[in-house]
Amino acid sequence: MKPILPVGLFDKLAAQLLVVDLLPRPVLDVAGPLLVKLKLMPEDARSATLALMAPHVREASIDFLKMAATWMLNAKRAHQRGQKVILLPFNFPGELIHAFDKARPLTSEVLSTLGVAALAGQGEEYWNVAMGLGMPDHLCSANTIELGSVLSGEDFKPDAIISSAPGGCDVNSKIHEFVAHYLGIPQFFLQKPTEDSGRGREWYGKYLRNLVAQLEEFLDEKLDENKLRAVMTKANRCTELYYELFDLHKAVPSPVPNIFSLFIYGCRFTMWGTDSAIRTMETMVRIGKDRLAHQSYPAPAELARCVWAYTSYYYDFFGFFNWMEEKGYSHLGDGLDLFFPKLIDTTNMDTMLEGIAESAWNMPMTRQVGGESMSGSWSDDVIHAVRELGADCVIYCGHHSCKQTWSVASILRSELTKQTGKPLLILQGDSWMKRMTPMSVLQDQIEEFVTNIVAKKDEKKRKIRRRQKEAE
Amino acid sequence: MIDIGFARRRDGRRGRSVENPTPFGLKPERDQGGASNAYSDIRRQDGRSVNPCRQIFFFGDWRTMMEEIKKQSGTIENDQVKKWKSGGGKTLGYTCIATPVEMVAAAGVLPYRVRALGSAETEIADAHLSRFNCSFCRSCLQLGLEGAYDFLDGMIETNGCDHLRGMIENWKYAKGFGFFHYLRVPQVVDPDAMAFFVEELGLFRRALGEFTGVPVSDQAIWEEIERHGRINDQLRQLYGIRERARPGLTGEEALQVFLVGTASPPAVFERELDRIIAARSGHEVGAYRARLLLGGSATDEVAFVHELEDVGGLVVTDMLCFGSRAFWPRKPDRSGTPEETLARIYLNNLICPRMLAEFPQRRDFIFSAVERAKVDGVVLVHNKFCDIHGVDNVQLRMALEKKGVPVLQLEKEYGAKADLGRMRTRIQAFLEQIGGAR
Repeated sequence: MKPILPVGLFDKLAAQLLVVDLLPRPVLDVAGPLLVKLKLMPEDARSATLALMAPHVREASIDFLKMAATWMLNAKRAHQRGQKVILLPFNFPGELIHAFDKARPLTSEVLSTLGVAALAGQGEEYWNVAMGLGMPDHLCSANTIELGSVLSGEDFKPDAIISSAPGGCDVNSKIHEFVAHYLGIPQFFLQKPTEDSGRGREWYGKYLRNLVAQLEEFLDEKLDENKLRAVMTKANRCTELYYELFDLHKAVPSPVPNIFSLFIYGCRFTMWGTDSAIRTMETMVRIGKDRLAHQSYPAPAELARCVWAYTSYYYDFFGFFNWMEEKGYSHLGDGLDLFFPKLIDTTNMDTMLEGIAESAWNMPMTRQVGGESMSGSWSDDVIHAVRELGADCVIYCGHHSCKQTWSVASILRSELTKQTGKPLLILQGDSWMKRMTPMSVLQDQIEEFVTNIVAKKDEKKRKIRRRQKEAE
Repeated sequence: MIDIGFARRRDGRRGRSVENPTPFGLKPERDQGGASNAYSDIRRQDGRSVNPCRQIFFFGDWRTMMEEIKKQSGTIENDQVKKWKSGGGKTLGYTCIATPVEMVAAAGVLPYRVRALGSAETEIADAHLSRFNCSFCRSCLQLGLEGAYDFLDGMIETNGCDHLRGMIENWKYAKGFGFFHYLRVPQVVDPDAMAFFVEELGLFRRALGEFTGVPVSDQAIWEEIERHGRINDQLRQLYGIRERARPGLTGEEALQVFLVGTASPPAVFERELDRIIAARSGHEVGAYRARLLLGGSATDEVAFVHELEDVGGLVVTDMLCFGSRAFWPRKPDRSGTPEETLARIYLNNLICPRMLAEFPQRRDFIFSAVERAKVDGVVLVHNKFCDIHGVDNVQLRMALEKKGVPVLQLEKEYGAKADLGRMRTRIQAFLEQIGGAR
């Protein structure tokens, strides 16, 4: 018999987000900080709430939470409405699923992130379920936490899984394959030919069309051109807002709060192509512009402008995003923000499917380590971001499960130094679990890096310039 | 090692034992209160116990042949490679069973499978790859950067797994290859993926032709397809000898034979296999405690198999890419163009966890091997941080246990001697467990 109180990660989150969904924005605006002050929430969730309810980001946070609530509750109510829940990895463009009436998307990595941020125990109990089945401990916590909950049999069960990590990530592909077999549900694939000459891209377009046909058959629904156009038009609006935020990040000091980096790809991986994503991103742009106009920055000076090469850390929002901000370390985005979307031509079904294929091809991870050369595509993107955003350092989080990025991080470091002269800090930790490296250790390493490398590097440049001036 | 092979007869001559000083049915030493050793408590497949130290087998000049195989399989640039190179032949390295070696051989080039030979040294490689990458790949990279593979004229990369890709990228970045070709192998089989792979093979063929300066002819490819079909038949025959009720060779020997094949001209290996099969058809290895199937990650560690067998677990069959997965399912299927034929032979029969929709095929493959070789238990290994095997082994274990087949799942560091003691203990415990179950 299913327990009355939710025990699975999805069910617990859905219960929390139902409250967010029901409460009006002004109430949330007051209730959030109050909850933190009164300590009426699990201690583990306080860090995320503190970070989200910080005055300079609160409005965007509430939009983001409302969006997440819509996303989850849509999936929660899917079966009642005769719809199917399709579980996706983060590197699949969920807007395609939004265009179907009979399907609702859920993204396993986003569920894990929300669970880690908001639940007592930070989702580790679900990780333990997977380990209990004999899974190796070097799997990716980003999917294994959520999928551990699914495997426990006490949470929601997706109706199908789309796997779009083949070509980009073995861990992601394998855990989704395992879950599909374990639960006995269909798995659909979008494999990426690791070929950058144009031929691979053509094949990828074919694969995407095959996938659409398979989904149509599975859902017993023909993809409607008008519905698709409506979603793609909204996706295009999201794209415009993405580039506005990207441009705002270029200002010195950065007017974009650090946590917006997470919100941007949070939108990308959940509700891209919907009104709630547009609203969240518009709020972020507005806040960024206001702060730019007022030259607002949380610290006395911006000491370091950091691009994070791959993921950030998610088990302590406040200790990570806000701590950096208070120190004067701007988070200009991480690898998951580097998806550089293109506007989709909405002329007809064909152009739109082609546009979705292009979006999928450019999703983070697929675009970089799913490239012909893992190091080449990744280095190109990171170096591009460093140059465009005026970053003065790069930090690689070293999420221990990212074997593809770990395997070419040394090449990234070498190319970054050669091409830009910027230093790379390589950390080691698990982005979703505190049990590997505590936040305090990561903070110490970041601080030492900025103090001893980044700041001194700038100091040396200033000295050289002064000497040159004196000589003149 | 279980097969003591060439123990001397009591009359001092070499040859098949004429008498068995410890006849079948002898009570195990431990039961008699004697000290337990690696060879005590050994059970034959027919259920009778023996003392294997006294089990004597002779067969012609088998010792010389086996010593030679051991030597050649344990040397990177072995005599065959040296001979090939000194004759002006070119050699291309590859790392994965998804590489159609027939095409390479048809170009007149020696396909050479890069491996780590049980070397656990990774200091140089660790400056490029990381500690979070599988130690097999780190060991291969170490050897590559040390110059052990400098005799290779180039490298063929396949997208076998993230670690292998990283290994090749770092090798290429740090040292470069004279010739390099990236053969992309789909991870899902469907008609479009098959068509893509056919196209890839066409590009591969063209690249090989440009490398040698001579286009690769259809006839040459067909001939190599035929030859490799014969080699695969021979290997199946050899496995038949290994898997039968009274096995004719140990797992350690079978691995050594296989490894020689990955580093020899196919025509030479074909001849060698004939000799080996002839020598071992009437042979019988020593006694053992249990018949095992070994499956999992890239395992070219002869020492590891030796450890398994040293404690009494005879590896009578395997599900390794340095083993049955590389040949067992591949049957010649000549129709269409050579590329179409090779695409079908390889893609339809790629028993590897990198294939993401083919778990039922892998499950059926192991079920069939378990049944065919009448194994008492299955040992599934994966190198630390090997994701594809790490997850697949869990699925296979679950499926096997459901069928009542005992499974030992091991995570290990490649080639690490420090790991061997721990492995040995676990294997011994497993053998106790499956022994007790009978």
